[in-house]
Amino acid sequence: MASPAVPGEPGNGAAMSASQRRAEIRRRKLMSNSEERMNRIMGIHKPGNSDELRFERLDKSDSLSLSSLTKRSDILSGDGGLSAEHHCSSVDGKEPYIGDKMDFLKNADVRDDSNGVRNRTDVNSEPTSRGLDEYLSRFDEAMKLRNQLNSEKPSADNGNGVDELDSFRIFRLVGSALLAFAVRMFVCKYLSIFAPFLTLQLAFMGLSKYFPKGEKKVKTTVLTAALLLSGIPSELINRSLDTYSKMADVFTDLCVYLFTFIFCHELLLYFGSEIP
Amino acid sequence: MAESCAAWLLVLSAVFLCNLCKILLPSFSSLVSRLLQEDAEQEYEMRSDIQTMRQELSNISMMDEFAKYARLERKINKMTDKLKTHVKSRTAQLSKIKWVISIVFYVLQAALMVSLIWKYYSEPVTVLPSKWIAPLERLVAFPTGIAGGVGITCWLVVCNKVVAIMLYPIS
Repeated sequence: MASPAVPGEPGNGAAMSASQRRAEIRRRKLMSNSEERMNRIMGIHKPGNSDELRFERLDKSDSLSLSSLTKRSDILSGDGGLSAEHHCSSVDGKEPYIGDKMDFLKNADVRDDSNGVRNRTDVNSEPTSRGLDEYLSRFDEAMKLRNQLNSEKPSADNGNGVDELDSFRIFRLVGSALLAFAVRMFVCKYLSIFAPFLTLQLAFMGLSKYFPKGEKKVKTTVLTAALLLSGIPSELINRSLDTYSKMADVFTDLCVYLFTFIFCHELLLYFGSEIP
Repeated sequence: MAESCAAWLLVLSAVFLCNLCKILLPSFSSLVSRLLQEDAEQEYEMRSDIQTMRQELSNISMMDEFAKYARLERKINKMTDKLKTHVKSRTAQLSKIKWVISIVFYVLQAALMVSLIWKYYSEPVTVLPSKWIAPLERLVAFPTGIAGGVGITCWLVVCNKVVAIMLYPIS
Protein backbone atom coordinates (compact mmCIF):
# COMPACT_ATOMS: atom_id res chain seq x y z
CA MET A 1 0.00 0.00 0.00
CA ALA A 2 1.77 3.13 -1.18
CA SER A 3 1.40 5.96 1.24
CA PRO A 4 1.44 9.48 -0.14
CA ALA A 5 4.39 11.70 0.63
CA VAL A 6 3.10 13.52 3.64
CA PRO A 7 4.98 15.56 6.14
CA GLY A 8 4.22 12.94 8.75
CA GLU A 9 6.61 10.40 7.22
CA PRO A 10 8.72 8.80 9.97
CA GLY A 11 11.96 9.98 8.45
CA ASN A 12 11.19 13.66 9.10
CA GLY A 13 9.01 13.09 12.14
CA ALA A 14 11.11 15.46 14.25
CA ALA A 15 10.38 18.38 11.94
CA MET A 16 6.59 18.06 12.38
CA SER A 17 4.49 20.13 14.60
CA ALA A 18 2.49 18.47 17.40
CA SER A 19 -0.85 18.75 15.55
CA GLN A 20 0.60 17.35 12.35
CA ARG A 21 2.10 14.50 14.30
CA ARG A 22 -1.23 13.71 15.94
CA ALA A 23 -2.99 13.81 12.57
CA GLU A 24 -0.43 11.50 11.11
CA ILE A 25 -0.78 9.06 14.01
CA ARG A 26 -4.57 9.11 13.62
CA ARG A 27 -4.26 8.47 9.92
CA ARG A 28 -1.91 5.55 10.43
CA LYS A 29 -4.12 4.07 13.10
CA LEU A 30 -7.11 4.20 10.79
CA MET A 31 -5.11 2.60 8.04
CA SER A 32 -3.80 -0.15 10.28
CA ASN A 33 -7.30 -0.83 11.60
CA SER A 34 -8.66 -1.23 8.11
CA GLU A 35 -5.74 -3.45 7.24
CA GLU A 36 -6.45 -5.60 10.26
CA ARG A 37 -10.11 -5.85 9.34
CA MET A 38 -9.20 -6.92 5.83
CA ASN A 39 -6.87 -9.58 7.21
CA ARG A 40 -9.62 -10.85 9.45
CA ILE A 41 -11.97 -11.11 6.49
CA MET A 42 -9.35 -12.93 4.48
CA GLY A 43 -8.68 -15.25 7.42
CA ILE A 44 -4.99 -14.41 7.65
CA HIS A 45 -5.08 -12.28 10.71
CA LYS A 46 -2.00 -12.82 12.88
CA PRO A 47 -0.46 -10.79 15.69
CA GLY A 48 2.59 -8.83 14.60
CA ASN A 49 4.98 -10.49 17.03
CA SER A 50 4.45 -13.94 15.61
CA ASP A 51 5.08 -12.52 12.14
CA GLU A 52 8.43 -11.30 13.31
CA LEU A 53 9.13 -14.69 14.78
CA ARG A 54 8.23 -16.35 11.56
CA PHE A 55 10.65 -14.13 9.72
CA GLU A 56 13.34 -14.97 12.23
CA ARG A 57 12.68 -18.64 11.68
CA LEU A 58 13.01 -18.20 7.97
CA ASP A 59 16.37 -16.58 8.57
CA LYS A 60 17.60 -19.50 10.62
CA SER A 61 16.35 -22.42 8.62
CA ASP A 62 17.23 -22.44 4.95
CA SER A 63 15.63 -25.68 3.94
CA LEU A 64 12.38 -27.53 3.44
CA SER A 65 10.51 -25.95 6.25
CA LEU A 66 10.31 -22.77 4.25
CA SER A 67 7.48 -24.04 2.12
CA SER A 68 4.56 -23.58 4.45
CA LEU A 69 5.92 -20.67 6.38
CA THR A 70 7.03 -18.80 3.30
CA LYS A 71 3.61 -19.11 1.77
CA ARG A 72 2.11 -17.73 4.90
CA SER A 73 4.56 -14.88 5.19
CA ASP A 74 4.23 -14.13 1.49
CA ILE A 75 0.56 -13.68 2.00
CA LEU A 76 1.16 -11.59 5.05
CA SER A 77 3.96 -9.47 3.76
CA GLY A 78 3.54 -9.30 0.00
CA ASP A 79 6.29 -6.73 -0.34
CA GLY A 80 8.40 -4.66 1.98
CA GLY A 81 5.93 -1.85 2.25
CA LEU A 82 3.10 -4.08 3.27
CA SER A 83 5.19 -5.83 5.87
CA ALA A 84 6.10 -2.50 7.34
CA GLU A 85 2.44 -1.72 7.68
CA HIS A 86 1.96 -5.01 9.45
CA HIS A 87 4.57 -4.14 11.97
CA CYS A 88 2.84 -0.85 12.38
CA SER A 89 -0.43 -2.60 13.06
CA SER A 90 1.24 -4.78 15.69
CA VAL A 91 1.83 -1.79 17.91
CA ASP A 92 -1.73 -0.71 17.55
CA GLY A 93 -2.80 1.28 20.56
CA LYS A 94 0.66 2.54 21.43
CA GLU A 95 0.58 5.78 19.48
CA PRO A 96 3.68 7.43 20.93
CA TYR A 97 5.84 4.60 19.66
CA ILE A 98 4.55 4.46 16.12
CA GLY A 99 6.95 6.98 14.76
CA ASP A 100 9.88 5.36 16.52
CA LYS A 101 8.82 1.97 15.29
CA MET A 102 8.66 3.23 11.74
CA ASP A 103 12.12 4.75 12.15
CA PHE A 104 13.37 1.51 13.49
CA LEU A 105 11.90 -0.34 10.56
CA LYS A 106 13.51 2.03 8.16
CA ASN A 107 16.91 1.71 9.71
CA ALA A 108 16.72 -1.98 10.44
CA ASP A 109 18.85 -4.32 8.47
CA VAL A 110 16.40 -5.56 5.90
CA ARG A 111 17.63 -8.09 3.44
CA ASP A 112 16.34 -10.49 0.87
CA ASP A 113 16.99 -14.17 1.25
CA SER A 114 17.12 -16.68 -1.55
CA ASN A 115 13.37 -16.98 -1.68
CA GLY A 116 12.81 -13.30 -2.05
CA VAL A 117 11.24 -13.01 1.35
CA ARG A 118 12.20 -9.93 3.24
CA ASN A 119 13.68 -10.79 6.59
CA ARG A 120 14.68 -8.65 9.48
CA THR A 121 17.77 -9.79 11.33
CA ASP A 122 17.77 -7.70 14.42
CA VAL A 123 14.53 -8.12 16.30
CA ASN A 124 14.44 -7.88 20.05
CA SER A 125 13.19 -11.26 21.23
CA GLU A 126 11.12 -11.34 24.35
CA PRO A 127 11.20 -14.22 26.79
CA THR A 128 7.69 -15.30 25.86
CA SER A 129 8.37 -15.20 22.16
CA ARG A 130 11.60 -17.16 22.62
CA GLY A 131 9.62 -20.16 23.81
CA LEU A 132 7.41 -19.98 20.77
CA ASP A 133 10.47 -19.59 18.59
CA GLU A 134 12.04 -22.67 20.12
CA TYR A 135 8.87 -24.59 19.57
CA LEU A 136 8.75 -23.46 15.94
CA SER A 137 12.37 -24.49 15.39
CA ARG A 138 11.66 -27.90 16.86
CA PHE A 139 8.60 -28.20 14.72
CA ASP A 140 10.65 -27.37 11.64
CA GLU A 141 13.21 -30.00 12.54
CA ALA A 142 10.46 -32.54 13.06
CA MET A 143 8.99 -31.66 9.67
CA LYS A 144 12.38 -32.15 8.07
CA LEU A 145 12.70 -35.51 9.75
CA ARG A 146 9.26 -36.48 8.60
CA ASN A 147 10.15 -35.64 5.02
CA GLN A 148 13.33 -37.69 5.32
CA LEU A 149 11.36 -40.52 6.78
CA ASN A 150 8.89 -40.45 3.92
CA SER A 151 11.65 -40.50 1.35
CA GLU A 152 13.45 -43.37 3.07
CA LYS A 153 10.42 -45.50 3.75
CA PRO A 154 10.52 -47.75 0.66
CA SER A 155 14.16 -48.79 1.12
CA ALA A 156 14.13 -49.16 4.87
CA ASP A 157 12.71 -51.98 6.92
CA ASN A 158 13.65 -55.26 5.40
CA GLY A 159 12.25 -57.24 8.28
CA ASN A 160 15.19 -58.12 10.48
CA GLY A 161 16.86 -54.77 10.83
CA VAL A 162 19.92 -55.60 8.75
CA ASP A 163 21.53 -52.36 7.65
CA GLU A 164 23.37 -51.82 4.43
CA LEU A 165 26.47 -54.00 4.26
CA ASP A 166 29.44 -51.74 3.64
CA SER A 167 33.04 -52.93 3.39
CA PHE A 168 33.77 -52.47 7.07
CA ARG A 169 30.70 -54.39 8.13
CA ILE A 170 31.58 -57.27 5.83
CA PHE A 171 35.10 -57.19 7.23
CA ARG A 172 33.72 -57.32 10.75
CA LEU A 173 31.44 -60.24 9.99
CA VAL A 174 34.15 -62.23 8.24
CA GLY A 175 36.59 -61.43 11.06
CA SER A 176 34.11 -62.61 13.69
CA ALA A 177 33.43 -65.85 11.82
CA LEU A 178 37.13 -66.56 11.32
CA LEU A 179 37.88 -65.80 14.95
CA ALA A 180 35.12 -68.15 16.08
CA PHE A 181 36.60 -70.89 13.95
CA ALA A 182 40.09 -70.26 15.31
CA VAL A 183 38.83 -70.09 18.89
CA ARG A 184 36.99 -73.38 18.53
CA MET A 185 40.11 -75.00 17.14
CA PHE A 186 42.77 -73.70 19.49
CA VAL A 187 41.70 -71.38 22.29
CA CYS A 188 38.44 -72.50 23.90
CA LYS A 189 40.14 -75.18 26.02
CA TYR A 190 42.05 -72.54 27.89
CA LEU A 191 39.73 -69.59 28.36
CA SER A 192 36.21 -68.28 27.81
CA ILE A 193 35.19 -67.74 24.20
CA PHE A 194 34.12 -64.17 24.96
CA ALA A 195 37.61 -62.96 25.79
CA PRO A 196 38.92 -63.23 22.21
CA PHE A 197 35.68 -61.69 20.99
CA LEU A 198 36.13 -58.62 23.18
CA THR A 199 39.72 -58.29 21.97
CA LEU A 200 38.48 -58.44 18.42
CA GLN A 201 35.96 -55.69 19.10
CA LEU A 202 38.73 -53.49 20.48
CA ALA A 203 40.72 -54.16 17.33
CA PHE A 204 37.70 -53.22 15.20
CA MET A 205 37.36 -49.95 17.08
CA GLY A 206 40.94 -49.09 16.20
CA LEU A 207 40.64 -50.31 12.63
CA SER A 208 37.46 -48.38 11.90
CA LYS A 209 39.58 -45.26 11.26
CA TYR A 210 41.31 -46.87 8.30
CA PHE A 211 38.11 -47.76 6.49
CA PRO A 212 36.45 -45.30 4.17
CA LYS A 213 33.48 -43.80 5.89
CA GLY A 214 30.63 -43.74 3.45
CA GLU A 215 27.88 -41.19 3.82
CA LYS A 216 26.06 -42.35 6.86
CA LYS A 217 22.37 -42.21 6.25
CA VAL A 218 20.65 -40.56 9.13
CA LYS A 219 17.98 -43.02 10.11
CA THR A 220 14.94 -41.16 11.12
CA THR A 221 12.04 -42.71 12.83
CA VAL A 222 8.86 -41.52 14.41
CA LEU A 223 10.63 -41.96 17.73
CA THR A 224 13.35 -39.54 16.67
CA ALA A 225 10.79 -36.99 15.61
CA ALA A 226 8.93 -37.42 18.88
CA LEU A 227 12.14 -36.96 20.89
CA LEU A 228 12.94 -33.83 18.91
CA LEU A 229 9.51 -32.41 19.55
CA SER A 230 9.81 -33.18 23.24
CA GLY A 231 12.76 -30.83 23.45
CA ILE A 232 15.81 -33.10 23.40
CA PRO A 233 18.53 -31.46 21.27
CA SER A 234 19.10 -33.07 17.90
CA GLU A 235 22.83 -33.36 18.58
CA LEU A 236 22.16 -35.53 21.60
CA ILE A 237 19.72 -37.67 19.64
CA ASN A 238 22.25 -38.11 16.84
CA ARG A 239 24.94 -39.11 19.31
CA SER A 240 22.72 -41.63 21.03
CA LEU A 241 21.65 -43.02 17.66
CA ASP A 242 25.30 -43.41 16.76
CA THR A 243 25.97 -45.28 20.00
CA TYR A 244 22.92 -47.40 19.38
CA SER A 245 24.10 -48.35 15.89
CA LYS A 246 27.54 -49.27 17.30
CA MET A 247 25.90 -51.50 19.87
CA ALA A 248 23.81 -53.09 17.15
CA ASP A 249 27.00 -53.77 15.18
CA VAL A 250 28.62 -55.42 18.19
CA PHE A 251 25.50 -57.51 18.77
CA THR A 252 25.48 -58.65 15.14
CA ASP A 253 29.15 -59.60 15.44
CA LEU A 254 28.40 -61.52 18.62
CA CYS A 255 25.59 -63.41 16.92
CA VAL A 256 27.79 -64.36 13.98
CA TYR A 257 30.61 -65.31 16.32
CA LEU A 258 28.41 -67.50 18.50
CA PHE A 259 26.72 -69.10 15.52
CA THR A 260 30.01 -69.96 13.82
CA PHE A 261 31.42 -71.27 17.05
CA ILE A 262 28.45 -73.55 17.77
CA PHE A 263 28.27 -74.64 14.14
CA CYS A 264 31.96 -75.61 14.12
CA HIS A 265 31.55 -77.32 17.45
CA GLU A 266 28.60 -79.36 16.24
CA LEU A 267 30.37 -80.31 13.04
CA LEU A 268 33.41 -81.45 14.98
CA LEU A 269 31.19 -83.46 17.29
CA TYR A 270 29.31 -84.97 14.37
CA PHE A 271 32.42 -86.11 12.59
CA GLY A 272 33.73 -87.37 15.90
CA SER A 273 37.14 -85.79 15.72
CA GLU A 274 36.89 -84.31 19.15
CA ILE A 275 34.93 -85.01 22.29
CA PRO A 276 34.68 -82.14 24.77
CA MET B 1 23.64 -86.74 21.16
CA ALA B 2 21.83 -87.23 17.87
CA GLU B 3 18.72 -85.62 19.35
CA SER B 4 20.68 -82.61 20.50
CA CYS B 5 22.26 -82.34 17.07
CA ALA B 6 18.81 -82.46 15.51
CA ALA B 7 17.53 -79.73 17.81
CA TRP B 8 19.89 -76.95 16.80
CA LEU B 9 19.61 -77.93 13.16
CA LEU B 10 15.82 -78.07 13.35
CA VAL B 11 15.59 -74.59 14.82
CA LEU B 12 18.06 -73.26 12.28
CA SER B 13 16.12 -74.80 9.40
CA ALA B 14 12.83 -73.43 10.71
CA VAL B 15 14.23 -69.93 10.99
CA PHE B 16 15.81 -70.17 7.55
CA LEU B 17 12.57 -71.35 5.97
CA CYS B 18 10.56 -68.62 7.66
CA ASN B 19 12.92 -65.92 6.47
CA LEU B 20 13.00 -67.32 2.97
CA CYS B 21 9.21 -67.45 2.84
CA LYS B 22 9.04 -63.88 4.07
CA ILE B 23 11.25 -62.77 1.19
CA LEU B 24 9.28 -64.78 -1.35
CA LEU B 25 5.90 -63.80 0.07
CA PRO B 26 5.14 -60.89 -2.33
CA SER B 27 5.88 -62.90 -5.45
CA PHE B 28 4.00 -65.89 -4.06
CA SER B 29 0.92 -63.84 -3.27
CA SER B 30 0.91 -62.25 -6.73
CA LEU B 31 1.19 -65.73 -8.26
CA VAL B 32 -1.74 -66.99 -6.19
CA SER B 33 -3.84 -63.97 -7.05
CA ARG B 34 -3.07 -64.50 -10.74
CA LEU B 35 -4.21 -68.10 -10.45
CA LEU B 36 -7.36 -67.19 -8.57
CA GLN B 37 -8.39 -64.33 -10.81
CA GLU B 38 -9.61 -65.43 -14.20
CA ASP B 39 -11.00 -62.04 -15.10
CA ALA B 40 -7.67 -60.82 -16.38
CA GLU B 41 -8.38 -62.45 -19.72
CA GLN B 42 -11.69 -60.65 -20.03
CA GLU B 43 -10.05 -57.41 -19.05
CA TYR B 44 -7.43 -57.86 -21.75
CA GLU B 45 -10.19 -58.44 -24.31
CA MET B 46 -11.96 -55.28 -23.24
CA ARG B 47 -8.76 -53.30 -23.55
CA SER B 48 -8.12 -54.57 -27.05
CA ASP B 49 -11.73 -53.82 -28.00
CA ILE B 50 -11.38 -50.26 -26.81
CA GLN B 51 -8.15 -49.92 -28.73
CA THR B 52 -9.81 -51.18 -31.91
CA MET B 53 -12.77 -48.88 -31.49
CA ARG B 54 -10.51 -45.91 -30.93
CA GLN B 55 -8.69 -46.67 -34.12
CA GLU B 56 -12.00 -46.92 -35.89
CA LEU B 57 -13.07 -43.62 -34.41
CA SER B 58 -9.98 -41.89 -35.70
CA ASN B 59 -10.89 -43.01 -39.21
CA ILE B 60 -14.39 -41.55 -39.04
CA SER B 61 -14.85 -37.91 -39.93
CA MET B 62 -16.79 -36.17 -37.21
CA MET B 63 -18.36 -33.61 -39.54
CA ASP B 64 -19.41 -35.98 -42.31
CA GLU B 65 -20.67 -38.87 -40.17
CA PHE B 66 -21.52 -37.27 -36.88
CA ALA B 67 -24.14 -39.81 -35.81
CA LYS B 68 -21.84 -42.73 -36.35
CA TYR B 69 -19.03 -40.91 -34.65
CA ALA B 70 -21.14 -40.07 -31.58
CA ARG B 71 -22.49 -43.58 -31.34
CA LEU B 72 -19.03 -45.06 -31.40
CA GLU B 73 -17.73 -42.56 -28.93
CA ARG B 74 -20.56 -43.36 -26.54
CA LYS B 75 -19.75 -47.02 -26.91
CA ILE B 76 -16.09 -46.38 -26.12
CA ASN B 77 -17.01 -44.34 -23.07
CA LYS B 78 -19.33 -47.02 -21.83
CA MET B 79 -16.73 -49.72 -22.26
CA THR B 80 -14.05 -47.61 -20.59
CA ASP B 81 -16.30 -47.08 -17.60
CA LYS B 82 -16.95 -50.78 -17.42
CA LEU B 83 -13.26 -51.51 -17.61
CA LYS B 84 -12.55 -49.01 -14.86
CA THR B 85 -15.07 -50.63 -12.55
CA HIS B 86 -13.67 -54.01 -13.41
CA VAL B 87 -10.09 -52.97 -12.67
CA LYS B 88 -11.13 -51.34 -9.42
CA SER B 89 -12.87 -54.44 -8.17
CA ARG B 90 -9.99 -56.64 -9.28
CA THR B 91 -7.45 -54.46 -7.48
CA ALA B 92 -9.51 -54.59 -4.31
CA GLN B 93 -9.70 -58.35 -4.57
CA LEU B 94 -5.98 -58.56 -5.21
CA SER B 95 -5.10 -56.57 -2.12
CA LYS B 96 -7.48 -58.69 -0.09
CA ILE B 97 -5.81 -61.89 -1.29
CA LYS B 98 -2.37 -60.49 -0.49
CA TRP B 99 -3.53 -59.46 2.95
CA VAL B 100 -4.99 -62.88 3.67
CA ILE B 101 -1.83 -64.64 2.50
CA SER B 102 0.44 -62.50 4.65
CA ILE B 103 -1.82 -62.94 7.67
CA VAL B 104 -1.83 -66.70 7.20
CA PHE B 105 1.94 -66.70 6.85
CA TYR B 106 2.50 -64.68 10.01
CA VAL B 107 0.10 -66.85 11.97
CA LEU B 108 1.89 -70.00 10.81
CA GLN B 109 5.26 -68.49 11.62
CA ALA B 110 4.13 -67.51 15.09
CA ALA B 111 2.70 -70.98 15.66
CA LEU B 112 5.95 -72.59 14.55
CA MET B 113 8.03 -70.39 16.84
CA VAL B 114 5.75 -70.95 19.80
CA SER B 115 5.83 -74.70 19.27
CA LEU B 116 9.63 -74.67 19.03
CA ILE B 117 9.91 -72.66 22.22
CA TRP B 118 7.39 -74.97 23.87
CA LYS B 119 9.35 -78.05 22.82
CA TYR B 120 12.77 -76.78 23.84
CA TYR B 121 11.71 -74.83 26.87
CA SER B 122 13.38 -77.10 29.38
CA GLU B 123 16.05 -78.78 27.30
CA PRO B 124 18.90 -77.01 25.55
CA VAL B 125 19.27 -77.15 21.80
CA THR B 126 22.93 -77.96 22.22
CA VAL B 127 25.39 -78.25 25.07
CA LEU B 128 28.85 -76.74 25.40
CA PRO B 129 31.29 -77.06 28.29
CA SER B 130 30.08 -74.41 30.74
CA LYS B 131 33.49 -72.81 31.27
CA TRP B 132 33.70 -72.02 27.55
CA ILE B 133 30.82 -69.61 27.70
CA ALA B 134 31.52 -68.14 31.14
CA PRO B 135 30.47 -65.62 32.43
CA LEU B 136 27.35 -65.57 30.26
CA GLU B 137 26.41 -69.23 30.67
CA ARG B 138 23.19 -68.37 32.53
CA LEU B 139 22.10 -65.95 29.85
CA VAL B 140 22.93 -68.32 27.02
CA ALA B 141 21.20 -71.21 28.76
CA PHE B 142 17.97 -69.30 29.43
CA PRO B 143 15.28 -70.66 29.99
CA THR B 144 16.68 -74.17 30.54
CA GLY B 145 18.92 -73.30 33.48
CA ILE B 146 21.38 -76.03 32.50
CA ALA B 147 24.94 -74.79 32.81
CA GLY B 148 26.65 -74.87 29.44
CA GLY B 149 23.45 -75.45 27.52
CA VAL B 150 22.33 -73.19 24.70
CA GLY B 151 18.71 -72.19 25.29
CA ILE B 152 16.07 -71.87 22.60
CA THR B 153 15.70 -68.09 22.96
CA CYS B 154 19.38 -67.40 22.51
CA TRP B 155 19.62 -69.78 19.59
CA LEU B 156 16.54 -68.30 17.91
CA VAL B 157 17.96 -64.79 18.18
CA VAL B 158 21.34 -65.88 16.85
CA CYS B 159 19.81 -67.84 13.99
CA ASN B 160 17.49 -65.00 13.03
CA LYS B 161 20.35 -62.54 12.87
CA VAL B 162 22.65 -64.82 10.90
CA VAL B 163 19.97 -65.95 8.46
CA ALA B 164 18.94 -62.33 7.87
CA ILE B 165 22.55 -61.47 7.02
CA MET B 166 22.84 -64.50 4.77
CA LEU B 167 19.64 -63.71 2.91
CA TYR B 168 20.33 -59.98 2.68
CA PRO B 169 21.74 -60.16 -0.90
CA ILE B 170 18.58 -61.78 -2.26
CA SER B 171 16.10 -59.71 -0.27
